[in-house]
Amino acid sequence: MSEQIRRVVIVGGGSAGWLAAGVIAADHQIPRVPGLEVTLVESPAVSPIGVGEGTWPSMRDTLRRIGVSETDFIRECDAAFKQGSRFGGWTDGGGEHYYHPFSLPQGYGEANLVTPWLREHGAVPFAELVSCQPQLCERGRAPKQVTTPEYAAVANYAYHLDAGRFGPFLQRHCTARLGVRHVLDHVTRIEACDNGDLAAVVTGAHGRIEGDLFIDCTGFSSLLLGQHYGVPLVTVQPQLFNDSALAVQVPYAAADAPIASHTIATACAAGWIWDIGLQSRRGVGHVYSSAHMTDEQAERILREYVAAGTDARTAAALAPRKLSFRPGYRASLWQRNCVAVGLAAGFVEPLEASALALVEFSATMISEQLPATRALMETVAARFNEAFRYRWERALEFLKLHYLLSRRSDSPYWIEHRAAATVPPRLAGLLELWRHQPPSRYDFHRIEEIFPAASYQYVLYGMGFRPESGARPESVQNAALAQRCFAEAAALGKSMLAALPANRALLNHLQSYRLQRI
Amino acid sequence: MARHAPLNNVEHKALRVVTQRAAAYGDDQMYALTVPAEFRNVQSCYPIVFQKRADTGQFQPLALFGFEAGENLFLTESGWDAHYIPMSVERLPFLIGGPGAPQDGKPGPPMIHIDLDSPRLSTTEGEALFLEYGGSTPFLERIGSLLGSLHEGIAATPAFIEALQGHELLESFVLDVEHGDGATSRLAGLYTVNEDRARALDGAAVSQLHAQGHLEPMYMVVASTVHFRDLIERRKRRG
Repeated sequence: MSEQIRRVVIVGGGSAGWLAAGVIAADHQIPRVPGLEVTLVESPAVSPIGVGEGTWPSMRDTLRRIGVSETDFIRECDAAFKQGSRFGGWTDGGGEHYYHPFSLPQGYGEANLVTPWLREHGAVPFAELVSCQPQLCERGRAPKQVTTPEYAAVANYAYHLDAGRFGPFLQRHCTARLGVRHVLDHVTRIEACDNGDLAAVVTGAHGRIEGDLFIDCTGFSSLLLGQHYGVPLVTVQPQLFNDSALAVQVPYAAADAPIASHTIATACAAGWIWDIGLQSRRGVGHVYSSAHMTDEQAERILREYVAAGTDARTAAALAPRKLSFRPGYRASLWQRNCVAVGLAAGFVEPLEASALALVEFSATMISEQLPATRALMETVAARFNEAFRYRWERALEFLKLHYLLSRRSDSPYWIEHRAAATVPPRLAGLLELWRHQPPSRYDFHRIEEIFPAASYQYVLYGMGFRPESGARPESVQNAALAQRCFAEAAALGKSMLAALPANRALLNHLQSYRLQRI
Repeated sequence: MARHAPLNNVEHKALRVVTQRAAAYGDDQMYALTVPAEFRNVQSCYPIVFQKRADTGQFQPLALFGFEAGENLFLTESGWDAHYIPMSVERLPFLIGGPGAPQDGKPGPPMIHIDLDSPRLSTTEGEALFLEYGGSTPFLERIGSLLGSLHEGIAATPAFIEALQGHELLESFVLDVEHGDGATSRLAGLYTVNEDRARALDGAAVSQLHAQGHLEPMYMVVASTVHFRDLIERRKRRG
């Protein structure tokens, strides 16, 4: 333990550990500028939770920042483009659907689009009037062209990726290019200083690994923060019931089958099914509440879903992998000289794919706010804890919104989800407010909100929420501005549909050709 | 539409090729592909720029003739007003096709193909392709060697582009031109050599580029940009 913060020790590999290592090492130019050391200790026996995962568009900035090529990333992580999510059956449990695209509404922040939408275009789904992206998804288009530079977008996008390959991909880059020291060994013991700070992790073959700052990326086991410091998990199960998942890998019916460029989230009797398209296969999973459904029932529903999209034989051959989790987050995320990132910090159901985004936000803040000395750490830790408690609370509320707005009554699961006792009070208050005004920056005023007001608009209006009629009249200027925005969105859709290739066509192309950096 | 066929001295015995330059023969092109091996000649007449191919996304060098599609400012009543025409234009309506018949178990040499829909083809005027008893005319001989050079040049281009990109020497640019008559043009989606970065290259980088033969063509690209002024003048004169 030295007064200067020089040695960062990351415990645990996987996406969280390697993203944290990559961001910190790249920001601090470790191989070129002496001063900071980053060591990642990873147990060879612990296999990371490698289900197909969705990201947010922020991942493009993160990967560029770490310095990897997008073409390499797409090739090596079986990655595909994601332009948003399509929610099926969430409102009434029928064939209805709505989109939550990554593009902000055209004119977002400049005009109130909601009032003119309802007055003149109420028959058109909100997302489809203010954004062309639902149309791009429906038509299976890629979000960019072969001539678009790496990480640049024609339509805003994120990725679907194979998490089992993502960690090793980042590991190769971090160790070969960014000067991260990689120790493949078991942590057998944790050594603390007299003042309670962590001094070192002790490994089987590599001995003591001392550090000034420890980053706990040990997954659900939360070895440092949860086990060593005993920081309790704040459970969110009373609000979000899901605590189990069954995941499978589904082959495409044919080598040239279309790849959806959005996550398909289909509501079920006591949970929902994710369906994400990678290049070589689909990742499909059923996340559900064990209090409302048995594993056998969940598995049957999952097989029925897969069979409907492929055939009975494919569905019968699947071997689902079971995951159990306690939805929640640690009461404190940065304790003394230890901060948790990823599953070690918390986990809720993957609805809206916030897990990796929270890792990116965490890694970025740790890197940018890395305290120069131990004395400064308390200030940074307090700030970090406040920022991430805020984010976890907002994430919880946003996910809850998807259940709260449902009108499904086909199972106790959906009915109980609407019980007042399960609704976070802040969300209940906002919902009242939104009966009279659309979600806006006044509701989410931080610079880096985890979900912007636009996301709330997409979900609210996508799920049939309508404001009270007789709301305050809008200005003449707004009506004209909104019409212009709607026309712009339509025109953009037309030109993008004409110019964008099929999602699979672009992904296939990237196997032979690289995207340019400029 | 192009209709490509391998050239042979039986079917195509009577064909002649018009070598005049005019819009009617498809010369009204805004740009044409060029290759580093001819940059010295090209830079004496035209700006050399880079563009991404729409089908592959890969960079290719172009000689620029105008500011908008269909505009070739070098095309006049009396032909093409420049002392050098890029090989990719000069060789038309011929092209290199797939390998010919195998010889000794190896793929044969690439064959000359011809676009049978080209407006340049005639039986009454222009250059003959074959001699009376089937041999190639000097014109066709010259086309053959031109196609060979172009073929090699195209094969050598990716290494040149890669070297430029390796030193981050390519940058995009947008050129807005006011033509004085109220008309404006915008050239976008084009790339050029960043001169500041070229000047800042260290000795090792210069030496490496030189050893690989990329230094000279790189500076030919830099030198070629003076012809933007010439293009603007030509456009002004045309009115």
